[in-house]
Amino acid sequence: MTKTGMIDFRGVNKWFGALNVLKDITLSVEPREVVVVCGPSGSGKSTLIRCINGLETIRDGDLVVDGQRLGDPATNMTRLRTEIGFVFQSFNLYPHKTALENVTLAPIHVRKIPRTEAEQAGRDLLAKVGLADKVDAYPAQLSGGQQQRVAIARCLGMRPKIMLFDEPTSALDPEMISEVLDVMVAVAEEGMTMMVVTHEMGFARKVAQRVVFMDAGAIVESGTPDEFFSNPKTDRSRAFLSKILRH
Amino acid sequence: MIWQQLQSLAGSYPLALRGLGVTVVLSLISLVLGTLLGFGLGILRTGGNRLISSVIGAWVDLIRGTPFLVQIFLIFFILPELGIELDAFTAGIIALTNLAACFICEIVAAGIRSVPTGQVEAALASGLSRWQRMRQVVLPQAMRIVLPPLVGQYVLLIKDSSVVSAIGLTDLTRVGWLVVQRVPNGLLVFFLIGLGYFIVCYPLIMLARRLEQRMGAAHGEVQL
Repeated sequence: MTKTGMIDFRGVNKWFGALNVLKDITLSVEPREVVVVCGPSGSGKSTLIRCINGLETIRDGDLVVDGQRLGDPATNMTRLRTEIGFVFQSFNLYPHKTALENVTLAPIHVRKIPRTEAEQAGRDLLAKVGLADKVDAYPAQLSGGQQQRVAIARCLGMRPKIMLFDEPTSALDPEMISEVLDVMVAVAEEGMTMMVVTHEMGFARKVAQRVVFMDAGAIVESGTPDEFFSNPKTDRSRAFLSKILRH
Repeated sequence: MIWQQLQSLAGSYPLALRGLGVTVVLSLISLVLGTLLGFGLGILRTGGNRLISSVIGAWVDLIRGTPFLVQIFLIFFILPELGIELDAFTAGIIALTNLAACFICEIVAAGIRSVPTGQVEAALASGLSRWQRMRQVVLPQAMRIVLPPLVGQYVLLIKDSSVVSAIGLTDLTRVGWLVVQRVPNGLLVFFLIGLGYFIVCYPLIMLARRLEQRMGAAHGEVQL
């Protein structure tokens, strides 16, 4: 048995019907490591991180997360999910609950933390993401950037070991992107293990230890942000970078 | 002559009240049981299990596709042949509960399906159990879609309860049949019977309308 990381893909394949969306993925993420995943749309990067918390299931290969093998009958998926925060592109806050209730729902019902304690922790977290004055606001009363920050606080409320971000700023107006990225940088700097699907290369340069470039379901290239941005090794990554960095 | 008829009708007042009582009690019990059962069936109908879902779907189609009068006859007259003896009231409750559950099942299932998958994924991702996802995330949002037609369905079921008079239950409709034998003015008698149903149903109709307006304004954020 080789040494395992926090997240370990070994020869993972996945199909949607006849389409091979993940091709022989092998990738290991160490504890406290921040990995940015990028690539053209349809390259399988969202699918890749959705597999980690079982929102998608894999066809073959091994995926071991926090020492537990996915798809193994001995793995309690619901339990494992409590250790993995997931931030969605479209936020997916609960519209019928306030910001504070969004943050405290899982700690109260899953972690069984007493309500008053959970609410105090929730207020602290919302303050940390700069929304101390929005605890009682409903998602519809918040801007996109504020909603995404609540969503990040909602994940942090579970004190996860891993945080996954699926294009967290893609649905935001440009002026709101930095407020979300700032929060993500702060989370990264506290030593969270993170996988982030994003095209925000400034974020990648600032906090990522590694950039993984995917195309057509396969990992084409992977390296430090410096290597990847200044000296991309493949034609496909060069073509991709020239498109996103042109402006 | 109309004066005499009215006097005679006034004498039937206690009977009419009892009939109204039977209609209300029968409807109330069936609606409460039918709602509980309907929500359970609706949740199972949209749950992962294909077999359970299609069995429920087939049963709902069967019940929705046959006349309620026929269903009552089957329960009251045919079941005893199989050794299951039921009094008329119990038979009425069973038939009406079953009918209510089937309609409510479809309403609830439609409501659950209307909740965006992202909501379920968010709940899944934070480790909520199946029941917690339903109770905390899916149902509160589904209620926005469910409530107006649910209350509307209650009105239909209260009116459908008149069919139980066919198996001899003295509900409001049967009181009408009894009274009209003494007071030969069908128009007047059944006008009053109809009025009785309307008095029970009208508040619900108003409630359904108000709910519909409130849900339309709420943009998905329903405070329950």
